[in-house]
Amino acid sequence: MSALDHCQVDTSLEDFLKKVRPRLKAQFQRYGIPPQDTEDILQQALLALIYQRQAIRDPEAWLIGTVRNKCLLYWRAHRRKLYESVDAAVLECMAQPLQPDQETSDVRRDLAAAIEELPERCRSLLTLRYQHGYEPAEIAERLGYSQRSISKITQRCLAALTRRLVFTGQWRGGKKTRP
Amino acid sequence: MKDEHEDAFDSVFDRVFRRIADREAAISRQQSAAGQLLDELTAQTLPARRLLLVSNSPRFHNLFLCELLIEKAREAAFQDADQSFELARLAVAIAESLRPESCGSTEVREGLWCRASAQLANALRVAGRHVEAERLFRPVEALIGEEGRIGLHDLARVLDLRASLHRELRKFEEAAHLLDRVIDIYQKLGAWNLLGRALMQRSAVCGEMGDLDAEVKMLRRALDLLDPNEEPRSFLVARHNLIFALNQSGRSREAFALLFHTRPLYFKTGDRLSLLRLRWLEGLVAVGLGRLEQGEVAFREVRDAYLQLALDWDAAMVSLDLAGVYVRQGRAADVLHLAEEMLVVFGARDIHREALQALAYLCSAARAEEAGISLIQEVSDFVKEVRTNPARQFAPRVSLPC
Repeated sequence: MSALDHCQVDTSLEDFLKKVRPRLKAQFQRYGIPPQDTEDILQQALLALIYQRQAIRDPEAWLIGTVRNKCLLYWRAHRRKLYESVDAAVLECMAQPLQPDQETSDVRRDLAAAIEELPERCRSLLTLRYQHGYEPAEIAERLGYSQRSISKITQRCLAALTRRLVFTGQWRGGKKTRP
Repeated sequence: MKDEHEDAFDSVFDRVFRRIADREAAISRQQSAAGQLLDELTAQTLPARRLLLVSNSPRFHNLFLCELLIEKAREAAFQDADQSFELARLAVAIAESLRPESCGSTEVREGLWCRASAQLANALRVAGRHVEAERLFRPVEALIGEEGRIGLHDLARVLDLRASLHRELRKFEEAAHLLDRVIDIYQKLGAWNLLGRALMQRSAVCGEMGDLDAEVKMLRRALDLLDPNEEPRSFLVARHNLIFALNQSGRSREAFALLFHTRPLYFKTGDRLSLLRLRWLEGLVAVGLGRLEQGEVAFREVRDAYLQLALDWDAAMVSLDLAGVYVRQGRAADVLHLAEEMLVVFGARDIHREALQALAYLCSAARAEEAGISLIQEVSDFVKEVRTNPARQFAPRVSLPC
């Protein structure tokens, strides 16, 4: 028997949506998704559900599971943006003229201190990136990583650096500041 | 403040729910047209004509038709790899022609394309065209490697098919890793029937890796989740595998009891191959219980039937089980006779050269009265492996005395 032969959403779509609404709302609130960003997540999940509903035995569990996953992806994407902004800010700072002013030199010192606290592989990677200006492909070659894995490893190291900077109070709200 | 927040959520929900309800009617229309389009398509006898139709006629650019074709390709893979390939090829052509707006979102369209392509690769795997299957998986893997590009449900189904290819190529670690991800996804989505199927796959990998206890445990979990009325074939396969694993791990009494209760399911399924598999299993369990004569009779019956059906590989495997019975009974002359017969029969057929080499080695060992259970097991394992891994070469662990 084909999976498309049996329809699993017995109730009407309207009744189904009414039933799942409180759980969905609780899910978004639990993950702290702002209401304005809820729209895309909810619409995508519901569209996927109605397109695939014949193959889904338990639509409620499916929808909640899908929304939960999308909420996690939402925050992961946000974190990635944060790491990228740290990366961009650091690169910009490093691109200053050779004779740094007091502020740039302090930033460099704080950054070096933060990198020093990281595991060895992140230290090497970030030093190559920030002090020697290497591109990811060059870093991969130099440190023996594959081209496929270097972006993931760079992301992890940037995450560790960002956490460190936030922890020591050197990074606030997307702007690098002195403690 | 809290009320404002609640209101903001409510207005988003109202808006989205309204949009979805509006969309539902159009989706229902697409869905009800799909069956008719499939009939129209299958009425065309030439595969090239069908492909032309789905590529050029916008009428056929229907998401539900694509879903139907993927499902049919999945079902056909059990019986006919060529048909499965043809159906999956049509599904891929449709998925490539669909516009994101007709699927609601890019995520749905890309998920569908990934599944259709993975099903096509699976048809190639079944046909033994592993290199082409690997090549087909490459763009799919590149797409699913980007987090969130396709939905979890689609992702799990693609990974499941990818794991099958890994398993066939005996990359068990990779297969196990992917199947663990699949199991995790189905648990998250509460898709218990699919979780049952995934556990069956995972248990088979455990068995291949020699972990029979884990295999038995997973099969029991799978059987708890599979509904025998909804999925009788999957349920039967899980029971069959469980009986086999129990017998292999020395729990032949338990296997025998379970076989007794499972027999009606084989008869209900009714096709000849299932009944032959039952008879083979009966032989194995009988041997496990020390009832060698019963095992011999069963193996002979199954072997003759497979030869009649020209299922050479299966015939070779069951012949090796029969040889095992002769060895246990100390019938060296019968072992030699059987080995020579296998060599003649399979030599005349399209069986792999290295597999023949292994059978020839068994023949020489039988002539020297050196064919023991361990050698038969070694040859049997090799023949099983070389079927999916033609690059393997036979290198016996024990050399024969000159």
